[in-house]
Amino acid sequence: MSEIADAHTAISLTGVEKFYGTHRALAGVDLQVRRGEKIVICGPSGSGKSTLIRCINRLERHSAGSIVVNGIEVSESEDAIQDVRMEVGMVFQHFNLFPHLTALENCMLAPRLSRGMSKAQAEKLAMKYLERVQVAGHAHKYPVRLSGGQQQRVAIARALCMEPPILLFDEPTSALDPEMVKEVLQVMEELAHGGTTMICVTHEMGFARRVADRCVFMDQGQIVEIASADAFFDAPASDRLRGFLAQILH
Amino acid sequence: MSGLPIDLALAYDSMPALLRGLMTTILITVVSLVCGLMLAFPLCFARMSERPWLARAAETFVVFFRGTPVLILLYLVYYGFGQIKMLREGPLWLLFGSAFGCAIVAFSLNHAAYMVEVLRGSLLAVPAGLVEASEALGISRRKVFLWVRMPLAIRYGLKAYQNEVVSFTKGTAIVSVVTITDLTAVANGIFEQTYDPFTPILSAAALYWAFINAIRLVFRFWGAYLNRHNEDGVAETTSLPTSTLERMTGAGFTTMTTTADPATSASTGTGKEAA
Repeated sequence: MSEIADAHTAISLTGVEKFYGTHRALAGVDLQVRRGEKIVICGPSGSGKSTLIRCINRLERHSAGSIVVNGIEVSESEDAIQDVRMEVGMVFQHFNLFPHLTALENCMLAPRLSRGMSKAQAEKLAMKYLERVQVAGHAHKYPVRLSGGQQQRVAIARALCMEPPILLFDEPTSALDPEMVKEVLQVMEELAHGGTTMICVTHEMGFARRVADRCVFMDQGQIVEIASADAFFDAPASDRLRGFLAQILH
Repeated sequence: MSGLPIDLALAYDSMPALLRGLMTTILITVVSLVCGLMLAFPLCFARMSERPWLARAAETFVVFFRGTPVLILLYLVYYGFGQIKMLREGPLWLLFGSAFGCAIVAFSLNHAAYMVEVLRGSLLAVPAGLVEASEALGISRRKVFLWVRMPLAIRYGLKAYQNEVVSFTKGTAIVSVVTITDLTAVANGIFEQTYDPFTPILSAAALYWAFINAIRLVFRFWGAYLNRHNEDGVAETTSLPTSTLERMTGAGFTTMTTTADPATSASTGTGKEAA
C-alpha cells in the first residue's frame, strides 16, 4: 500500500479470509475505508458481515490477508491489538451492557481502566456522552431498568467515551422493538454528521440512504457489490443484490 | 425432672465448654475456607488453561480430592504424613505435626477441589458478549477479569458457594477423630461423662444451627447487595448446579454436577439451609 493511501485510509482490508473449521466465512475480502467515510454493509444472514467487522477489532482472528487500522496492522501482537481497539469503538446487536453497573458506570469503566482517567474526569466525560445520546436522565439506573432503545443508546455512549476515530455497529437495531429503532438511528445519524468513520452492518435501508457514503453487499463471505447509496438501491448491478433488495424491501 | 429429654441444668453448665468447642469449629471452618479458596483460584485458572497438560493436572486434582471422603483424607494427612521421615524432619512438620494443621490441610484441599468447579462454572456463565464488549473497549484481559468477569461470576456462583460453605461447615464435625475438640467432640465428651445422650448432642445441634443460620444470613445480605441492580432483587440467572448432591452421596460423580438440574440443586440447597 502506498504512503498517500495510508494518510487518508482509516481501514484497509486486503484478501481477508476467515475459516471456522472448514467453513469459509470470509473468502478474500478487499475493502478500503477512507477517514470519515460512512459505510453500510448488508447481506443475507451468514454472509460474513458480522465476522468481517469483528475481525477489524480482533474479536475474531482472521485466517489470512491483512487488516490495517489507522496504520496499525491487526496481528498476533497483543500490543497491536490493544492499539487497534483504542482506535475502534463497537456497538453490538444485544447491547452487552454490564448488568452490575449503572448506565453512568458502564460509560466510566473503560475510560478509567484503559485511559487511566480519574473518577471525576471519567464521570464528566460519561455525562457528556450520555447527554449527547439523550439518556443523561437515566445515568444512575441499571441496564435492566432501561428500555432496549435506551440501553443501546447507553452502549453507544459507552463506545463514544473512548473517543475512537472509528465506530463499528453490528446490527445495532436488530434486537430492538420497532418503536425504539428510530431513537437509536437518530443518534447514529447525528454521529454520522461528525467526523467519525463508521462501518455499520444494518438492514435499515432508510438509514443507509441518508447516511452511507457507500453501501457494501456481501454474500457467501465475499463482497458482491459496492456502490454509492443511490446507485446501490436504484440501480443494483448484480442479480444477487437485486434479489436481496426485493426480499427486504418487499 | 421435667418431661423434656433435656436436662436444662446440664445444658446450662456445659454451655461454656460447648461454646469453646464452637469457637474451634468456627476457627477450623474459617481458616480452611480461606485457604481452600486461595488454592482454588490458581487451580481454577489451570483447569481453564488452554495448555492441555496444565488443565489435565488441575482436573486430576479435582477428581482426586472430590472423589475422596474428607475423613479418609484426614486420616491420610494425620497418620500417613507422620510416617514420612523427610517430612518429619523438615520445616513443614510445624504444620503436619499438629492435629490442627493436618485438619486445615485436609479440609482446604477438599474445599479447594469443590471450589474449583464452582468458580469455573460461574466464570463460564458470564456471557461471552460482555467479555467481548470489554475487550472491544480496549480493557486489558487482566482488568476485564477483575472488573467484569469476576464481579459477575460471584453473582452467578453465590448460591452454589453458599451450599458448599454450609455443607463444608457441618462436615468439619469429623475433626474429633484426630484429637481436636470441636463442638461435636465436646458434646460427645459430655455424653460419655453423663450418659445423657440428648442434652449435650441437642445443645450442640442448636449451636450448629445458629452458626449455619448466621452464615445463611450473611449470604442473604451479600446476595441482596450484589443483586441490587435487579429490579425485584431476584438473582438474574438460576443458580448453578451445586456440589451438594455429591457431598451427600460422599463421592465425586463428575456427571452429577454437569447433569444436575438447577432446580433440583436449588431445592436441595434450601433444604440444607433449613436443616
